[in-house]
Amino acid sequence: MTDAVVDSSRQAPEAMTRRPPPNGAGRDRILNVVYVITWLTVVALVLIPIAALVFGSLRTAGPGEGGEWTLKNFVALGSEGVVGTILTTLYIGGATAVISAVIGTAIALIVHRTDFRFPNLITALTGLAFYFPSFILAMAWIIIGSPGGILNAIVNGVLGIPFKFDVYSVPGIIFVMVLHQVPFVYLTMRGPIMGMDGVYEEAARAAGAPPLQVLRRVTLPLLGYSVASSGILTFIMCIEQFAIPALLGTPGRITVLATQLYLLCRFDPVDYGLAAAVGLALSAITGLAIWAQRSVITNARLTTVTGKAGRLAPIRLGRWKWPAYILCFGFSFLALIFPAIILIYTSLQRYFSSNPFDAAYTLRNYTFIIESPSTMSSFWNTLIVSGLGALVGVALGFLASYFTLRQRPTGYRWLDLLAAMPFGVPGIVIGLGLLWAYAYLPLPLYGTLAILVVAYVTRYLPYATETIGGQMVQIDKSLEEAAWVSGAGRLTTLRRVLLPIALPSVQGAYFLLFMAFFREISSAMLLYTSATSVISVSIWSFFEQANWGEASALSVIATLIIFIAMSLILWLSPTSRRS
Amino acid sequence: MSIVVKDLVKSYGSNKVVHAISFSLEQGEFVGLLGPSGCGKTTTLRCIAGLEDANGGTISIEGEVVSDPANGIMRPAHSRNVGMVFQSYAIWPHMTVAQNVGFPLTIRKMGKKEVAERVDWALGIVGMQELAARLPSQLSGGQQQRVALARAVVGQPRVLLFDEPLSNLDAKLRDATRAEIRRLQRQLNIAAIYVTHDQAEALSMSDRVIVMDRGHIMQEGPPKDLYRRPANRFVADFVGVASFVEVMPTDDSLAWRTPDGTTIRVAEPAPATSAGGAMQLMVRPEAALLSPASAAPAGDGRNVLPGRIVEASYLGSHTEYVVEMGGSRVRIHSGDDLEHESDVIVSFAPTDAQLIPISRD
Repeated sequence: MTDAVVDSSRQAPEAMTRRPPPNGAGRDRILNVVYVITWLTVVALVLIPIAALVFGSLRTAGPGEGGEWTLKNFVALGSEGVVGTILTTLYIGGATAVISAVIGTAIALIVHRTDFRFPNLITALTGLAFYFPSFILAMAWIIIGSPGGILNAIVNGVLGIPFKFDVYSVPGIIFVMVLHQVPFVYLTMRGPIMGMDGVYEEAARAAGAPPLQVLRRVTLPLLGYSVASSGILTFIMCIEQFAIPALLGTPGRITVLATQLYLLCRFDPVDYGLAAAVGLALSAITGLAIWAQRSVITNARLTTVTGKAGRLAPIRLGRWKWPAYILCFGFSFLALIFPAIILIYTSLQRYFSSNPFDAAYTLRNYTFIIESPSTMSSFWNTLIVSGLGALVGVALGFLASYFTLRQRPTGYRWLDLLAAMPFGVPGIVIGLGLLWAYAYLPLPLYGTLAILVVAYVTRYLPYATETIGGQMVQIDKSLEEAAWVSGAGRLTTLRRVLLPIALPSVQGAYFLLFMAFFREISSAMLLYTSATSVISVSIWSFFEQANWGEASALSVIATLIIFIAMSLILWLSPTSRRS
Repeated sequence: MSIVVKDLVKSYGSNKVVHAISFSLEQGEFVGLLGPSGCGKTTTLRCIAGLEDANGGTISIEGEVVSDPANGIMRPAHSRNVGMVFQSYAIWPHMTVAQNVGFPLTIRKMGKKEVAERVDWALGIVGMQELAARLPSQLSGGQQQRVALARAVVGQPRVLLFDEPLSNLDAKLRDATRAEIRRLQRQLNIAAIYVTHDQAEALSMSDRVIVMDRGHIMQEGPPKDLYRRPANRFVADFVGVASFVEVMPTDDSLAWRTPDGTTIRVAEPAPATSAGGAMQLMVRPEAALLSPASAAPAGDGRNVLPGRIVEASYLGSHTEYVVEMGGSRVRIHSGDDLEHESDVIVSFAPTDAQLIPISRD
């Protein structure tokens, strides 16, 4: 009872004299300079392409070709063709978002809340599917489901059923987009589902609600806002999606805004002005959707689900066991395993054949890739752009988060807003904006890898600030204050306290950006030249030349690299898994 | 009997947290389950509610066996008809107050009109009728607490279970709510188990208190018995403040000797123990009187020991002194102002000197 905690008899060592803290003012001035540079960089990255796009949409001629001011491009937005495209875009985006939200949430609930027996396997497979590039998925499904593809060969040829699968259709596009988007919904719903305070469900059970009623009346309503938010984000990603509608829609003349923009820039009649107006229309739709998502989140605060994630009793699946198995494994099979098998199969053939017993097997697609200097250079380009570009993106994201969340100097709100803005700007639109901008700006960026880095960093800046900022807001202010009181300046505190604590999220953001850059295609489509081609573009070109074998071989290699990088992340930094 | 728990065992993997405990509650009885965190009290409560599956023993509620894993009986939580108040209240944030309270009724498919009537009744009991349309985020902690209480009683449960329901309230509100919970429980005449780590809460509310430590029941009895005649050192320490004096037996079973040779008389002989009879003497801080060494010694057969004040903490209503006495340090409360480091006389009646077996662990 009377144990002394503080031993006041202990004397300070004789040699200890009072020393004033180091003068941090000089070094803190460096921080001000860093802030100005960060601010200007973000403003330039985000505003230049947007301003160029607005400029371009008001011109009669293409970038750098003179011309006059005009409003005809906006008038043309009201034409029957464009309106039809807008409706198709909204329909595909809406349908995909709803279906993906339902399936993704169902899988997340099955995996994390029931006595499902293979949660880790499904989590891993869905994680892999998330990183499976969209254009590779679309290619695989063309090989499988196009009129001359494998499914029709089996169903018509072998079984003799007169039914034609056609992936070159609106339902086909929605189907492949759903396969691509479900992992996103799953990953965004995982957190809310696992972080839900179990006491709400326990209270319902104690109040007499059987399991299905608990799910219907408590669990799902509590998750409602998260599902809505995830669904809207999915909608945004769908209407920004370029590769899937371009590959699947072009043969059937189905155009969405993103593909129409591309066609206007690359095929006759070329009309860069109208393309810019289409890009602005597309951005307006995504902007509206982001606003909707934000207000959903704001409303969600009223009914926030907070609390400790307790031990939750798993729901017994019982007779729902087999439907759950079919949903989880069926999805993994269609979105990942089957396409991967088909790609490997196709990559090993001299000429494509649906009949595996009739095929001429070869490794020449792989040897060709290794021996082709242009393909190898696209490999190096991709590694440089991804490796260095992600570094730039993370540094910028870290600084932007630090200033907006911790320091709040003059103008930080602009920094915050601008850094979040590119989320609403589709990749192909950023590409077009830069195309317009660098036709006039005195910087010789066009035709270099640097312009790809600029495009990628701009597009994925919100991902970096979201990942790093998400962790930084949770760091208690007193940790910094303790360092200041101890005599550390702002810069020293940043380096010695904040950065080490935020490091897991910085690592997480780096890998996130690396992977995103590695498989990015939409913002590269309008910016690459033959000297600055990247892997995604090379695969695309092979496929466009109907060279399915090499396209598949290169896809297999690219996918392997992505999956290896992903395993490295999980192995290196277990803490970054959450981000 | 409302609740009968017999040989209840609960383990998480190889970690046994409840070791075959047994107790029962009469109709309308209010029992406090008291113990430090990790003693198994909440786990016991959750096993009764059906939120945890017990590993052994039986639990019956009003004669119906709801948990008997050895015979494959494990009624799910939703069919046990209990009312429960959670520590964090667990008011569903997406439902209004009325919807929260009405939930146990609508889940039983009760008609709209009857639900409305009953909700009104339950909200009336806790004085929350006018807030029926509010969302939980618009309520204070105390109001959420009342909603939780209304929700627990609205379905006329067979038992009421409380899991530290007051630990998130501030001190004043806590005192008021204590009385309210007890009044409500008496009025409804339902057996209630109240889990808490706050001994004042357990003593003031309960008809009977069960003290638990490391998954075992240490003692069970009315609050006064627990305070005055703790069965062991753990209960003596945990329930109230206690000081202990080292004592050795003499030939007289009512006289014990301190290491410095002073004899202390007790009112009752030591309880029989298996621990070889080693004892300590417990004195409550309010039971002993302190007077300056110069004062005349007290009579009436009181124990009188010389001591010395080594620490004093002024607490407003009284001062807590730590007195070195008979080779031990004891805490004594006194309204008198005494000099620090001064010699004093400590006196207490033999009835206030309780022998406690020294535990062996």
